[in-house]
Amino acid sequence: MSASLPSGVHFSSHAAERALVRTGPQRLWLAAFLLACVAMPWVGGDYLLGVLTLAGVTLVAVLGLQITVGLAGQLNLGQSAFVGVGAFVAAAGAGQGWSLWLCIPAAAFAAGVVSVLFGLPAVRIKGFYLALTTIAAQIMFPIVMIRLPDRWFGGTAGLPVDPPVVFGVAADTPRAIYWLVLAVVALAFLGAANLGRSRAGRAFRAMRDNDIASSVIGVDLARTKILAFFAGAFYAGISGALYAYYVRYVSTDQFTLWLSVWYVGMLIVGGLHTPLGAVLGVLAITALHEGVHAIGAKALVLLSGISNVSGGTVFALTNVVLGGVIVLMLLFEPLGLAHRWALLKAAYRIWPYPRG
Amino acid sequence: MTHHPWGITRRGLVAAALLGGLAATAQAQQTYTVSVSLDYTGPFANVMDSWWAGQQTVFEWWNETKGKALGIKLDVKTHDMRYDASVVARTWPQVLSQDKPIVFLGMGTPDLVSLMKRLPTDKVPMIMGTAMVGPLWTADGWHFSYRPTYSHEFAGLFDYLQKRLPEKRALRIGTVSTQGLAGYVDQVNGVVALAKAYPDRFAVVSSQWVDNQPVTVTNQIREMVKERPDVVLVGTNTAQVVATAKALKELGLKTPIVTSSHNGLNEAAKAIPIADLEGSYSVFAFAPYNDPSVKVVEIFNKYNKGKGTWGITSAQTAGQALLAVAAIERATAKVGAANLTGQAIYDALLAGPFPAEAFQGLIPSMALTRAAPFPTDNLAVKAMTVKGGQLVAVSQDWMPVPALAKW
Repeated sequence: MSASLPSGVHFSSHAAERALVRTGPQRLWLAAFLLACVAMPWVGGDYLLGVLTLAGVTLVAVLGLQITVGLAGQLNLGQSAFVGVGAFVAAAGAGQGWSLWLCIPAAAFAAGVVSVLFGLPAVRIKGFYLALTTIAAQIMFPIVMIRLPDRWFGGTAGLPVDPPVVFGVAADTPRAIYWLVLAVVALAFLGAANLGRSRAGRAFRAMRDNDIASSVIGVDLARTKILAFFAGAFYAGISGALYAYYVRYVSTDQFTLWLSVWYVGMLIVGGLHTPLGAVLGVLAITALHEGVHAIGAKALVLLSGISNVSGGTVFALTNVVLGGVIVLMLLFEPLGLAHRWALLKAAYRIWPYPRG
Repeated sequence: MTHHPWGITRRGLVAAALLGGLAATAQAQQTYTVSVSLDYTGPFANVMDSWWAGQQTVFEWWNETKGKALGIKLDVKTHDMRYDASVVARTWPQVLSQDKPIVFLGMGTPDLVSLMKRLPTDKVPMIMGTAMVGPLWTADGWHFSYRPTYSHEFAGLFDYLQKRLPEKRALRIGTVSTQGLAGYVDQVNGVVALAKAYPDRFAVVSSQWVDNQPVTVTNQIREMVKERPDVVLVGTNTAQVVATAKALKELGLKTPIVTSSHNGLNEAAKAIPIADLEGSYSVFAFAPYNDPSVKVVEIFNKYNKGKGTWGITSAQTAGQALLAVAAIERATAKVGAANLTGQAIYDALLAGPFPAEAFQGLIPSMALTRAAPFPTDNLAVKAMTVKGGQLVAVSQDWMPVPALAKW
């Protein structure tokens, strides 16, 4: 989604026009933003750092979903299962003494390969039917993981994970794991943004917009659909590996259908069609989640003794509020927060002229 | 005015003595933090008032009585972990840096899985109030519970029931559980291991796998009753207990259901008439809240100022807090009130059996070792049943648990 630029800004080459960062002020803002992200551990407390780290882990999975669902138009309601595959592979690898540099790619490839099994039906089916096959992945994941030999992935016990070692230093502090996640998120975002501009990305978009027409112009639908699933799950695998390193224990009940639905919810709120949507969606839902919990906890204290409101009400309310936000976004801004952001930028750039 | 040989006035001496005395008193009172994991805004929020009341009353009682005598004040800090492993993982650094706890009271599996690997490095022991599961039966951990695994607890009741069968044969057990949830599957695995260890005493005749929150399990129970079970084990959640009770009623059967503490008869009776649970059981490794031997109820009634009520939940968490203060007392005797650390509490937890008196009638004498995160020797349980529409104790005596090796 490109917003118009201020008058006087023009490009002398196609590459310059298609660049992710196109103007000097954009570079400055980006540098300031990255600097703020890197400096966060010195500014925010342990709580904020923890929330942002977990949001970063989630963001990588949602960026993957953006590729499969937003870019390629293939419904996937089993992303959490692929995150789980990545987490278990990373945990098993770490248990064998593999380094972080091996565990994360192994987790990504394993999740990608498993997703291909469930992406294969996409060659023949689409829409609701495809969504059902991905739900099947979600349901089969814990059953299969538990039944596999214990020495592979721990069986019912799951697997403990030691903190990762990065350049010889154990990343066992909130600050270290935050920076690790931040670095991976930055790479993942860059990858997702570039994918959209690549040959594969254009094929994804063509398939999403009209699969029959895209096949007429030479897009190999079967290959492209499987590639879309692989790419999305590849990101899920990376997210799983980061989750394993962060929580330091993986068990099947951490990767639920509920989580997959939340990933889709975040993407809808942020905006399906751009990686920025994944970022905004994850940040918005995380902030809302934390906000509702914080307000709920305060309300519990204030209302204690004068009403029968219990924590259960707050828990139920959290889900009602978050579900309500998704419904409202679908009704009033189906293109997501990313679209709002683009409109805001456009209005700023052409100010004082009205947006027409 | 008389002057002291060193130029100090008498009044100055008195003031110095007073100040010194105050300082000594202040020094004598050592304050340590106990951090507690709770779920105020997550799936177990509805029972949190009673959960917290069980712990809070024990700590308040201890501070006023034994703590005062020892010169120790426990500052209890609670954290809303939402029963979510990722929230536990992200909150833990804050707990460590701000609270600097000497002991941590966990709530459930999310605390266990997130902290198991961290605790030995962070040197903070964690005490649980829930029963354990086989997958977490590891050696040399810093996580402990006064309760063994759910399967051990069920085994104690099965042992009792088998000995009371009219003829000499194995107790026929049917199980209802859910595939895909590791803890639930493990409960069944543990009971299968029990049947394998004592084939002439126990037999698992049917295992039915149902939805986690089923609407009905009638078809599965119809299948199960073909194998004529003496009891149906439902150790998972209240929804499955209720569905099983409804199915048994629909099929005109009076087979008792065996439940645990978290999904027990009290909880199920909120959803269906208690008459439908006639003859069913709840079993756990602490005394039922209405057991006359339980003295901790007096502490609860005296110190409870919140909305929590005395029941299974508060009894369970009171046991957790009683083990924590018993360990603190033992550690104080060993290292002194001024030198308590997480390591000292850990050492105290492993320093031999705790007498039953430490637990106010709630828990029998128990010993922790490095081999397991729960007591493994001389285990005993108590159970409740529904008789004439009333919840009553199955036996006033502790029911021994047959030896059950790791499965």
